[in-house]
Parts: sequence; C-alpha cells; structure tokens
Amino acid sequence: MTLLTPFALWFLTIIPVIVLLYLLKLKRRQVQVSTLMFWQRILQENRRRALFQRLRQWLSLLLHLLIFLLILFALAKPEFDRFVRKGAFTVLILDTRSRMEAIEKNGASRFEKAKKLLAAYTSRAGDQNQMALLVARGSPEVIVPFSGDEKVFQQAVEKLEPSDASGDLDSTIHLADELLASRRGPGRIVVFTDSRVQTTGHKAQLETVAVGSPLNNLAITRFATRPLPASPQTAQVLLEIRNFGDKVATGNVELYFDGKLIDVKPFNLQPGGHKIDVFPSVPSTFGNSRGWLTARLDTEDPLSCDNEAYAVLPNHEPSHVLLVTRGNWFIEKMLAADDLVKFDLLTPDAFQASMAKNFDTVILDNVLPGGLRLENAEGNFLFINKTPFAGDGKSIDQPLITDIDTTSPLMRMVNLKNVTFLRAAEIPFPGPVGNWNFTAPLRSFDHPLVITGSREIDGEDQHMAAFAFDIADSDLPLRVAFPLLMSNTLEWLSGKKADETSSYKAGDIIDLQPDQSLWVEPQRKFLPLPKIDPGKMARHSYQPLKNGFYLLHTGATARWIAVNTFSEAESNLRAVQESGGQERTPSGIPAFALFTARPMWNYLALAAFVLFSIEWWLYHRRRTE
Amino acid sequence: MNSSTAYCCPGKNTSNYRGLEDATHDDRLIFDSSFLAKLEQLHLLSRKLFHGKYHAERRSKRTGSSLEFADYRNYTLGDDLRSVDWNIYGRLDRLFIKLFEEEQDLPVYFLIDTSASMRWVPPPGHASAPRSTKFDQARRIAASLAYIALANLERVNIHYFDAELGDHMGMSRGKGQFHKVLDFLKRVPGQNGGTRLLPSFRTFVQRVKQRGLVFVISDLFDIEGCEEALSLLRYNQFETSIVQILDPAELQPTLLGDLRLVESETELQFEVTADQSLLKRYQREMEGFLQGVEAFCLRRQINYSQASTAIPFDDLVLRLLREGSIVK
Repeated sequence: MTLLTPFALWFLTIIPVIVLLYLLKLKRRQVQVSTLMFWQRILQENRRRALFQRLRQWLSLLLHLLIFLLILFALAKPEFDRFVRKGAFTVLILDTRSRMEAIEKNGASRFEKAKKLLAAYTSRAGDQNQMALLVARGSPEVIVPFSGDEKVFQQAVEKLEPSDASGDLDSTIHLADELLASRRGPGRIVVFTDSRVQTTGHKAQLETVAVGSPLNNLAITRFATRPLPASPQTAQVLLEIRNFGDKVATGNVELYFDGKLIDVKPFNLQPGGHKIDVFPSVPSTFGNSRGWLTARLDTEDPLSCDNEAYAVLPNHEPSHVLLVTRGNWFIEKMLAADDLVKFDLLTPDAFQASMAKNFDTVILDNVLPGGLRLENAEGNFLFINKTPFAGDGKSIDQPLITDIDTTSPLMRMVNLKNVTFLRAAEIPFPGPVGNWNFTAPLRSFDHPLVITGSREIDGEDQHMAAFAFDIADSDLPLRVAFPLLMSNTLEWLSGKKADETSSYKAGDIIDLQPDQSLWVEPQRKFLPLPKIDPGKMARHSYQPLKNGFYLLHTGATARWIAVNTFSEAESNLRAVQESGGQERTPSGIPAFALFTARPMWNYLALAAFVLFSIEWWLYHRRRTE
Repeated sequence: MNSSTAYCCPGKNTSNYRGLEDATHDDRLIFDSSFLAKLEQLHLLSRKLFHGKYHAERRSKRTGSSLEFADYRNYTLGDDLRSVDWNIYGRLDRLFIKLFEEEQDLPVYFLIDTSASMRWVPPPGHASAPRSTKFDQARRIAASLAYIALANLERVNIHYFDAELGDHMGMSRGKGQFHKVLDFLKRVPGQNGGTRLLPSFRTFVQRVKQRGLVFVISDLFDIEGCEEALSLLRYNQFETSIVQILDPAELQPTLLGDLRLVESETELQFEVTADQSLLKRYQREMEGFLQGVEAFCLRRQINYSQASTAIPFDDLVLRLLREGSIVK
C-alpha cells in the first residue's frame, strides 16, 4: 500500500491535543431542584453501573481517536500498490456507441452504468496515476489527454452523452495503445463497454468492465427512398426490420410523411429473422413539404434509437429546357416523357442568344446561331451535331467508340455497347476558350464524340455539352442509353447533382463544400422550425452523432438529410460481454466494479462519517460522555 | 375589615377584594368577593364528632339545647320540668326527660409546610409563564379553607412547620377573624432546614389538647417518609386531610444535559447527565412515590388531594378539594 499524500501524517501530532481536550472536565450546568430524593434513588442504581460508566468514557475517547485517524488516512490517500504501480498511466475508454443506450432490466442504461463506473475510476487520478479519457463512437476521440487532475475528468465525464453512432472499438483501443507507447512506465487500458473485446495482443495491459447483459431487440436496419424511374413524382421506399431477439416479435411499422401517418404494415419476425418491406408509391415532395419520411416500430425494446428511422424523399424541381430545332421527333418525345423536364420548342429563326439565361438548358439541335460565341455566351447549352468548335468540316464515317469516361456524370449508367453511329463530325479537342475547361467523356480514337465544358462566372457554374453526331444518324434513339444519356446531360447542364446524398449513418463525417453549412441540431418531430442559431451551424465538416433530420444549406438553397444508425452490430444486443449477473473483469479480479473502482480514501471518509454519526447518536442518548 | 388587609389590583374595585399582602406575589394572593361568596357555600367535612368549646352549628358528642332530638332518659330530681315529655308520661305514666343534641364548634388546624422545597422556584425555561411557589399555593389553600371554617363558626388555628413545629396563629373564631388569618399567613417564617414531618407532628399532638380536623398542606418531601407522621395524627384522634402540593417541574422535569443538581433544602449537590431515559426513570420513581402516599391515605381513611401549582387557584379549591372529600 502506498500513501499518495504522506505529508498528511504530520497531523498525527494533533492526537495528544485531542486527548488533552477530552480529559478536560465538563462544565456542568447548575440547576436547583426542590429535592434530590428521587434523583438519589435513580443514581444509586446508576452507580451499580459505574464500571460501564468508566467504559463508556473510554469508548467515547476511542471513537474520537478512531474518527480522527480515519480522516487522517483519508487525507493521506492510501492506495493499493496494484493501482499505483501498474497503473502509472491509464487510458480509460468509454464506449459511447449507440448500443450503449440500451436500457437494462434494472431501468438504467448501459451508458449510465458505464459512466458511473468511469466517474468512480477517474477519482483515482493523481500525479502518480495519470489518466487519459477516450471515447469510442464513429471515430476514436480523445476527451481528456493524460492528466492527474481528478476534477477535469469529473467535468468531462459529466458532459459525456451517448451517441447513436456505430463505430469500431478496436480502433479506439489501438489509439490508446499508441498513446501509452509514447509514455514511459507501465500502462493500462480500461474499457467500459458492453461488447466483447480482445484482451490479448495489446502492448498495454487491457481490462474491461462489462456493463451489459443479453437483451432482445428489434431494429430498423435499412430505410431508403428512390424516385420511380417511370414516375419521378413518386418514390419507392425500402424498409428492413430485423429481430435480434430470441423470441418471435410482432408489431406494426408505421410510415409517416412530414409527421403524418401514411401507411402501417404489420410484421411477425422469427428469432433472428428479418423482413423487407417496400412501400411502392409514396408521394414526392411538393410545395413547402420537407420530404421527411419516418418509419417507426410500435413495439418497445431496450434500444430505442433503432426503432425509428429517417429518410428524405428526393426533391426534383423540373428543369426548364428550350429546344431549338427544325424538328426532332426523338428529342421532343423524350423531353415530353420526362417528368423532370419542362420544355419549350423554338425554331432557329426565332432564337436569340439572350433567351438562354431564362432557361436551365438550351438544346441547339443541328443549329448554330451565328452570333453565339462560347466566350461570352450566357446559359447552359447542349449542341447536337453542329458545335461551336472549329472543324475542317470533315466527318468520320461509322466512328467506333473507343473511350468512355464512366466517371463522367453524363455517362452514368449509359451503355453504348451496341450503338451504331452512321457518321460524326470530325472535330479536334478544343483548346482553351474563355476560361472553359473541356473534357471528352466519349471518344473515337483521337476524336471526341462528346465534349463537356464548364466554367465559373461570378460564382456560378456554367456548363456546356456538345454531341459531335446527329442523333438521327445513329440508332441511339432506339436504345435504352438514349434517354439516360439525355437525362444525365440535361441534369448535369442544369447544375443538379444526381448523386446528392441525402442519407448518412450516425458517426459518418460529412464534408461540407465552401458554400455549404449544416444546422447541427437534429430534428425528429415535425414541428415549426425554430430560429436557427448561427452558432449551431457547421461550416467545414461535421460528424453527426444523433439520428434525425439535419438541414444542409448550399448557397441560397437548403435541403434535408437524414442520419440513422443502421448497424446490425449496434442493434444486436445479445452479443455482449457476459457479466454473469455479477460483473467480473477478464483478469478475474472480483468485480464489485463500483466498489473497487473507488479509491480507498472514499471509504475511509465514509467510515469516518458513519462513526461520527454513531458517536453523535450515542452522545445525545448519553451512551457516551 | 382591617384596612391593611384590603387592597386591590390595578383597575379593580377595592371593595371587591381582600387578600394577602406579599412583597412579591401580592396580585396572586387576592380573593375577590365573588370567590369568598362561593366559599361561604362550602362546609368542611368531618367523619368524626368532636367536642367543641362554644355553641355553634356542628353536631358534637354532647347533648344540649339544639332542636335536634337526641335521646330520652329517666327523670331525676332536679331536672328541669320543661324537659319532661308529657306525652310519654300520659301514655306510660312514667317521667322521661327529652335530650337534644348540642351543636358546637369544630377545632380546625392547618399545618403548613414552610420548608425550602415548598419555596423552591422552578428553573427558568421550564414554565411558559411564571408560576407561584408551592408555599404561595399552600397559603392560599389554607386561607380559603380557613375562611370556610370561620364562616361556619369553627375555630381555626394555623401552624407552620419545617424541620420542627413553628409559629401558630392561635385559635380564632368567626368570619371577622379572617383578617387575622391573612395577617398570619403573610408573615413568612424564616427557613429552618428541610421537611421533617414526624418531629413536627409529634410536637403538634403534644401541644394541642382538643382534637379536631387537621389539614396538612405540604409536598411531603421527607426523606424519612410521611407514613409514620400521618399515623401519629390519626392515632391521636385527629381527622387528617392531606393536600399535597407539587410543581409540574417536579412531576415531569425537562432538564437535559450535563447538570449539577443542587437541593434547595440542604444545598446538597449531585452531578448527573440527564437524558430522556433518565427522566423517564425519574418520572416512574415520582409516580411510585405519589401512588404510595395515596394508597397509604386510602388505607388509613385519610383524605388525600393533590394540588399542582399550575392549576388555577379557584379551580383547585372549588373542584379538587370537593372531589377529595375535604369540602362539600
């Protein structure tokens, strides 16, 4: 045993003072009574107990000295050598992943229990036993670097909250290992978790404090939306429910759209079973709709964060297209069939370059107005067959497609394998023109068949695309690739990103563009939005740790994104480190985890307080003097 | 009425009050006229018949000239012929003399304990309002009973006692002598040690030849006990009534803590650490003492009443003494 503050033993010199004070006679209050007749009779009986009287005086002194010694030793902070020597540096890891939110049978969550134990452990921090605190959630995070200040830990632990994130505990343990490797002296890692942890293979000694017991749980593990290809105004919703319990689970899953119940489906899941439901036609967003979709299980289980899932319906504003053509049946039909496109038809004679800025995209089909210059053109253009790029007027007969840039947004899911082109204009790859950056996602050897260009003017992107072939001179309109190519092209030209992600997992890091900011307060209930506090806006990157809807601002526009747990590892509450009713660390140390976690001086102080209370009680009942 | 015995409290009519003058408790020793009128309705009770000295209203052992028929006896020469019952002579042809009861006065003695324990004042904080001492209460009870006796033409004498028998007032008779009673009672004798009932009563029975009612007004805190002393009175043909006066602080003390108790009579000191259990034991001891005295009085046909200084004086005289068969 080691005394952490041995100078406190100097107070032992006070003991003679206590004895001296005790030996001083009591000053009794003098009271006159009419007669002592009755007092004398009683006290005659008391004298028979004189021995006990003397004893109780000594008992009183003994209690006083004992209380003093207990306080003294508490001040000296005695500690078992096991904690002092082996734990010169200790890294405490608190698992704050979503599974720790599970409510145990006693009504307390695993996290609360772990936090309590952690707080008790941190009270051992001192100059000779420095500690660091890490949490495991989406990614490892150092909450408190190595310190011996108990208060810092207590304050940090107090602020810790459980997250809805999944994550990797091993990476946090690895980080702890690395932290300890840079320290001289023995190190120890203590992990407060409900999960199984590999205790061997680490540089430092690793102990775990288990806080969980196997629990049944029902979870939504997938919840996604996509627009129907045939009708982008409606969306399909996919929902997967899993039963991680050992009993059959029955109930209903409710689907809410902007807080209003729109569908309910029953489920009956065998132990370990799962069910995938598709809600085939959910109305898409309109007007001021937020597009919130919420799936909720009407059952109750220990983990509530996976009983509710969030998704955002795709929000497609139709793009406004001006088609300048002398007549192209295929393009007209394709545009008419696309619900996401609203188009106007114009003859080449009526077209003026100034009209372009009123449309998202202008399609110039076999037309190239004389006054149109790429350097000073406004708007987004799709040139078909006749392009502004200078060529020698030659054409390529039956060009073969040799290079396809599949990463180009125009070529997404476009299969041009069996497409035949009768001819294409032979144009060179364009040189630098007015800040335009050109690419050629489709080539026939050295000749680009499709050219895309983009530039930034006054902070806004401008796009153009040029097809070096006439659609009518190919069998492309007869292929599935045609509407996809056109749709991708129009979408890209209008500046709308087809791959905008609207769903994240809790713990994922959302990288924000310079013009983006994220409101970091998750919303779950469909209520009027409060005034957004500018201090609650993330501007660079953000790691959402709570499920819900987050508002992402991009420039002047804003859209909602959904954050969910969606992790089988988190929802499977049966996979726990068995504590067997009584908690036991893997090293076999009997774990009254909470008891052993507290430093010894706490118990000495408690014992002093108890003895003091007993002495006070005895004194006021005249058992001691 | 002697002018020295008539005074009043502030704001009250002088003519309605009579009282004891006392330097410290003058306002507590006042009798108002309505209270005295109530006292005049009462009579002292006596089981025995005693020889009186003067013609009065109480039956006595002697035959005399009252209207109450007592007996017949044979005529003897020299008897007053007016006493012959001529109706009997007509029927039986024999002369009988009618005898009538003699109504005489009754000697009433008051033995008032003046020991230090009777003058003891409860420690501050025990009572919410200041109370009179047991001695004050004893004097007022004695005055009241004396007034009843005087109003009924009894002869009254008052004796003080503590360790021995002290001063006495001298026999007085008639309501007009009430001022004498008050004058005597307001003369507080000096203290002469603790209570010793037996020597005091022994002196009393030797000094007093004429038997009668004896009222002992005391707290009976005699370390040697009161039984032998009371038996002595009874043995000497006195009809005895006890009025035991106690203070609530003696019955249920609330003293707690480390104390040095000083006895009022002997200045004897005793160190004690009082707690609730000790106080309970004290109360048990006190109750045992009181029950013992009461049981003794019951066995010996001695009237026993207990009076507390906390009980209003009017209540005490008009209710408790009546319940104790001392007055009716």
